[in-house]
Amino acid sequence: MAFTEPVLTKRIPLDPEKRKLITYDDYVATGGYAQLKKALEMAPADIVKTVTDSGLRGRGGAGFGAGQKWSFIPKEKKTTHYLTVNADESEPGTFKDRYVMNYDPHLLLEGIAICALATQCDIAYIFIRGEYHYSAKVLEFAIKEAYDHGIFGGNGVFGSGKKIECYVHRGAGAYICGEETGLLEALEGKRGWPRNKPPFPAIAGAFSKPTVINNVETLMNVPMILEKGPAWFKTMGTPSSPGPKLYGMSGHINKPGVYEDELGITLDYAINTLGGGMKGGAYKASICGGISMGVLGTNQLDIKLDFDDVRFRGGCLGLGTAGMIVMNEHTDMVKALRNCVRFYSHESCGQCTPCREGSHWMKKILDRVVAGDGKARDLEMLLELEKTMGIMPGTTICGLADGTAWATRTFVTKFYDEFAARCPEETTKRVALKLAGSSRTNVLTPMGSNTR
Amino acid sequence: MPWIAEDRRNTRATEGQPLLTDAMKALLRDKYFPRYPSKRAVLLPALHLIQHEYNWIPSEAIKEIADFLEIAPAEALDTASFYEEYWLKPKGKYLVQVCRSLTCELCQSEALTKKLSDTLKVEVGETTPDKRFTLVELECLGACGSAPVVMVNERLYENVDVDQLMKIIETLPEDPHEFKDPGVTWENHH
Repeated sequence: MAFTEPVLTKRIPLDPEKRKLITYDDYVATGGYAQLKKALEMAPADIVKTVTDSGLRGRGGAGFGAGQKWSFIPKEKKTTHYLTVNADESEPGTFKDRYVMNYDPHLLLEGIAICALATQCDIAYIFIRGEYHYSAKVLEFAIKEAYDHGIFGGNGVFGSGKKIECYVHRGAGAYICGEETGLLEALEGKRGWPRNKPPFPAIAGAFSKPTVINNVETLMNVPMILEKGPAWFKTMGTPSSPGPKLYGMSGHINKPGVYEDELGITLDYAINTLGGGMKGGAYKASICGGISMGVLGTNQLDIKLDFDDVRFRGGCLGLGTAGMIVMNEHTDMVKALRNCVRFYSHESCGQCTPCREGSHWMKKILDRVVAGDGKARDLEMLLELEKTMGIMPGTTICGLADGTAWATRTFVTKFYDEFAARCPEETTKRVALKLAGSSRTNVLTPMGSNTR
Repeated sequence: MPWIAEDRRNTRATEGQPLLTDAMKALLRDKYFPRYPSKRAVLLPALHLIQHEYNWIPSEAIKEIADFLEIAPAEALDTASFYEEYWLKPKGKYLVQVCRSLTCELCQSEALTKKLSDTLKVEVGETTPDKRFTLVELECLGACGSAPVVMVNERLYENVDVDQLMKIIETLPEDPHEFKDPGVTWENHH
């Protein structure tokens, strides 16, 4: 618990009026690109080891070890290596990357350059979602500045001969391109259909070459890890989830926005201290990391926001992106779930049947329940459907369907009474009895192979 | 979908003039080809370029891009039809996009859509008869901290209420090319 001042957002003033774009000169004047010079002196394996030692976990949702991911890239370079930066931030509730990119793009570029040195990448693509017009322009400007000052292109980083190219690649409005292999397909000019794995991107990714894919925030952590060391990094957060984290707070709170704190703060602290308390009514529920992770219930304010506690005690899929949507007591949970499921039915890429058909089916059911025409069998069917969709039951290529499943499962089971109240009484009782039995515990645990 | 037959009513008469002009080809060749190891990877930037110029992507343009990138027209259409941002039929000068995802819905985005729909006298997805506005709802715009949000063409408006929204709609310039994001202040510096 040693988080005393912002580290990721140290250059961005707390007062919104004073915020402005941090240019190359501003960035260098506040110690920027010093760590890149340091990285040039280090062997690639040492950079990877430093990042691995820090325990930095990916900030894009899955929480996979960043250093570990880098270590999968072949050490002996035989061909071109690519770095793709995932700035396709489209998960509802998530807006942290936009915030930091808009103000401090050079921090990302320094992280990119260090990562490229560590994994011997030649070309870095920043894959940014099509709707982020402003952020894409900011990045284009910052990249041009970086080229002008010898970071990218030319004779290599600061004339060292280790040449890195860096480009912005704009997506075109598809959530699925945030999935790493969907992103690679979009980069190659194809429809964003996720690929079957293996081969993993570290072996055959973009253009069938070894590829590193990292989230924006993950890479922004890298310069400070080199500067202050893994031991310092671990003083923040929890043993399994070290470091600082950007929390995107939105919904029914007094001060929505992006806040930086360490990992492992409680939900209560996030809402009442960072978010300025509830607005319009008492606390009811919150989504902790984008809607795919599921919902935390009314009695779960003590959950610690790190990669493990949300999962094991909170009954959600994980911390995700820490994009939090807070809901007050007047929120209609049925309608909220309908909104989430509509999102998935709209964004499903259509490749795998359980996701394409299942999400549409669920949306139709929920439309019915919202309209007051729900039958008790509908809830049973929702819970049956969600068990059959996703990577975890092994029916889809990517995790989009798991998002649908976890959102549905956590909403329906944690707010069962509210859902049941929308359905005719006699039949509801039957389902409630059934759920109270053995099948209810099945609903709450991650699914194995017992999907049929 | 590539197997949908071409709708000739939506096809722009080219009168022998290519939609993908020599200047555009030069831009793609000089700026984008060196970035990628394959020509096909230039497809997304090329489609963005066409849409930026003509406000939508006519089917002739897809054929021209395919020829230029040495891929089959069906492959280009396959990609173009997958992405929501590419308009394969004409849209209004101003695309009014209301975010409908969870945070915005909690912050009353439905009232914005309804007001827009009533004022412009169109349903979501439709274009006004004077071709000035197209109203759409889309999924999360990534600005939940300032919900509800509305994006008009390339410019994002945050924390909008119904009155502000009406003012925005009324004060848009006649020519959409004059409509710029005032936040982009640095483009003249270099």
